[in-house]
Amino acid sequence: MMIATGLWRTHILIGLVLLNMAIGLVFISATTTPAYAITAEEMLANPVLEERARNLSKQLRCLVCQNQSIDDSDADLARDLRREVRSQIAAGTSDGAIIDQLRAKYGDYVLLNPPLDQATLFLWLSPLGFILLGGLIVMMARRQRGAAIATELDAAERARIEKMLASRDSENRPKT
Amino acid sequence: MSQMRLSFLLPLVAFGILALVGGMALYGTLSGSRDPTQLPSVFVDKPAPQTNLPRLVQTGSTTGNNVSVTMFQGKPVLVNFFASWCAPCRAEAPALEMLSKRVAILGIAYKDRSEDTTAFLQQYGNPFQAIGMDADGRTGIEWGVYGVPETYLLDSNGVVKLRHAGPLTRGVLETTIFPALEALGS
Repeated sequence: MMIATGLWRTHILIGLVLLNMAIGLVFISATTTPAYAITAEEMLANPVLEERARNLSKQLRCLVCQNQSIDDSDADLARDLRREVRSQIAAGTSDGAIIDQLRAKYGDYVLLNPPLDQATLFLWLSPLGFILLGGLIVMMARRQRGAAIATELDAAERARIEKMLASRDSENRPKT
Repeated sequence: MSQMRLSFLLPLVAFGILALVGGMALYGTLSGSRDPTQLPSVFVDKPAPQTNLPRLVQTGSTTGNNVSVTMFQGKPVLVNFFASWCAPCRAEAPALEMLSKRVAILGIAYKDRSEDTTAFLQQYGNPFQAIGMDADGRTGIEWGVYGVPETYLLDSNGVVKLRHAGPLTRGVLETTIFPALEALGS
């Protein structure tokens, strides 16, 4: 009976903790709206062009913060680059041409998705290399285990066991 | 037996490789040869971008007179992006003063107001032969500037030989700027 009430108490405690966490999560998701760096006056009036601008901005690195896109970043340079992208789009420049222009000024580093070339070859191919390496390790491990199980007793081991069994039999034999 | 040795050695080898890579990165950071805030410039060994900016005159207004990089064609020139609102620019003012005795310096006031730039020059000295006003930062983007101060060294043909992002400290002068100036015979 004592054990049963103890268990009950633990269950209620865990339940309360989980309930608290759930309430907290609901509260957090209800009170925080996703933060956008982009302001209303920056946006293009044409929704199709604005969509293109947003899409381009997400592919371009903010060079000050380095791990954010210019779409996410609040840095001054990010705002200037967003403005540059939008003025180019408004002037009728294609997406590819805008990317190429920025690459000509800031290098490949401005792209969040690095192109495949000599400098990034290792970066792009290393996942493949790791998968091959992992496969090799698994294969080696399996072969070893398989070999260990399949091994038959050789003649010397068999003889030793026979001898041990024989000596045990002679020891256990009731004395006469 | 051999199976145990493999499972024992493999994590050790993996850790060894990780430690080696981390150690190399740490050594690079500590010795100053690896600095993630120094991005490579695509303009090195390429002609500097065409630049034509309204010129700052010391009364605090800009005149119709323009500043361009071609003004300095025929001799090496340092191009320094600075701003009155930038604290490291104040810190590098003495270094620029010293450099101005060896090489012509073109100042580009990045996203600054001409009256603020003038006040800045009065307080910290004016090492510049000419100052162009890049009020909206477009010229900065043309040059691939990602934060002031930034300094470019151009040879007599207007080809960029060096870009340094960040203030010109004594260490930067001695390890990069002076050797590059000497290579240009300046």
